[in-house]
Amino acid sequence: MAHLLEGKNLYKTYREKAKVTQALSDVSFYLDRGEILGIVGESGSGKSTLLKAIAGMLKLDQGSVLYNGKDFTGMTPRQTGAFLQMIFQDANSSFDPRRVMKKSIMESGRGKKDEGRILELVSLVGLEEDLLSRKPSSLSGGQCQRMAIARAFYSDADILLCDEMTSALDVTTQAQVVELLQDLKKDGRLSAVFVSHDIALVSMLCDRIMVMKDGTCVEEGDTLTVIKHPCVDYTKELLESARRQSIQEISE
Amino acid sequence: MKKKKRAKIKIVIIAALVLLLLFCAVFAGVLAPHDPSTPNAAAIRMAPCAEYPLGTDNLGRCVLSRVLFGGRTTIAATFLLVLISFVVGTLIGIFSGYYGGLLDKFLMRLADVFLAFPQMVVAIAVAGILNGGLMGAMVALGITMWVSFARLARSHTASLKNEAYIQAAAFAGKSDLNILLVHIFPNLLTPVLTQALTQIGTTMIGLSGLSFLGLGVVPPTPEWGAMIAEARAYIQIAPWAIMGPAAAVIVTIVLFNYLGDAVMDYREV
Repeated sequence: MAHLLEGKNLYKTYREKAKVTQALSDVSFYLDRGEILGIVGESGSGKSTLLKAIAGMLKLDQGSVLYNGKDFTGMTPRQTGAFLQMIFQDANSSFDPRRVMKKSIMESGRGKKDEGRILELVSLVGLEEDLLSRKPSSLSGGQCQRMAIARAFYSDADILLCDEMTSALDVTTQAQVVELLQDLKKDGRLSAVFVSHDIALVSMLCDRIMVMKDGTCVEEGDTLTVIKHPCVDYTKELLESARRQSIQEISE
Repeated sequence: MKKKKRAKIKIVIIAALVLLLLFCAVFAGVLAPHDPSTPNAAAIRMAPCAEYPLGTDNLGRCVLSRVLFGGRTTIAATFLLVLISFVVGTLIGIFSGYYGGLLDKFLMRLADVFLAFPQMVVAIAVAGILNGGLMGAMVALGITMWVSFARLARSHTASLKNEAYIQAAAFAGKSDLNILLVHIFPNLLTPVLTQALTQIGTTMIGLSGLSFLGLGVVPPTPEWGAMIAEARAYIQIAPWAIMGPAAAVIVTIVLFNYLGDAVMDYREV
């Protein structure tokens, strides 16, 4: 049976004058329904490029991406948006500053106008319905991120692509958003690719982890296996730095 | 919050004065004490008095009536010119900034060509070729006026199109036209409108300037620039004939510039 989402031998090179950067090199992955795939790596490892390439925001040099076995390589966000939605790092800026939240959420429905469903989703993400009549500037980062999740669900997309979605939030709000995603995962509503530089966060949330370095996948496997028995030094370094960071945070 | 309230009060006061000015121009027919074009041999170059509050010119025409009717011509022509430049410039800027690439390069180099010469020099040359007249003066000024709107709209669009909410709209399946009209245009409207307000003063100077040089409105049509040009010949005998239209130009330009500044201040608070 075909995977919900699959990427095969993806390549992407950035060329800026004389400088050539290999952002993706022979990267392959898959995501099954009801699963969260975590992609970790330091800045510049190619994880955001991979996400943008899946979403159609970037043109791949080589390789193919498939949704339920059907090739959608080269599609634009206008087309891929029918089955996947992106959740951005800065949720506030992902909503039109001049529009109230309800209008922005409604827009993602591609013509569908179901106010009842919006209210249901807003309650599902743990927000009050009166926030729907507010503009993004009057909502906190965490509230906007929850609204972004509600918007993604309203679009009936099968897959969520989360690009560092918690990195702009404070620790408490970050925990609340992760808790919400865990709840949605338990209900089987969530199939997502979760990009983060925080391996600790990814290990709490994801079923499988893919570790990226310099545009390549250096390690991939079940979360527990990767965390407990990392095969490559780079993963060990990421885990070690995450451990040091948590000790530092606790001591502070 | 207090600063914002103060800025809002400032806008309301200036806007009220601007509305008063527009009211005087629109209802010039009711407010003017005399016919602006009928000469009166018995009242040539009469100093301000009860019957002629701003005096008369060398044909005995009431200066106040001509200033009021002249306001109609000057303000209407200025508004129309700014509106056309605003629409044309903003459209060019939005498409250029959104699509980028060759279209952007072509349109912006074209804008550079228009910016390479001083606006007034181009306007005088074009108005001369078109043999003057109000329409000729408007075309002459409009030929370069769209550029400032286009550049402003282009820079705002180029930065807005990378905003996450524009990408979110694309994921929602919205067409380019929908994104431009629903998300980009409303978000750049405030800076471009502010630019339009500040352009009103400059345009008014330009139109009056061309009329002053004989390349704009043709006498006897009342127009502030043309009235100043006519009255300068006898400024030492009847200075009031020049003071009325000159004061009208100054007050109008100051008011619109203040309005533009007040709106800009309000945005920045």
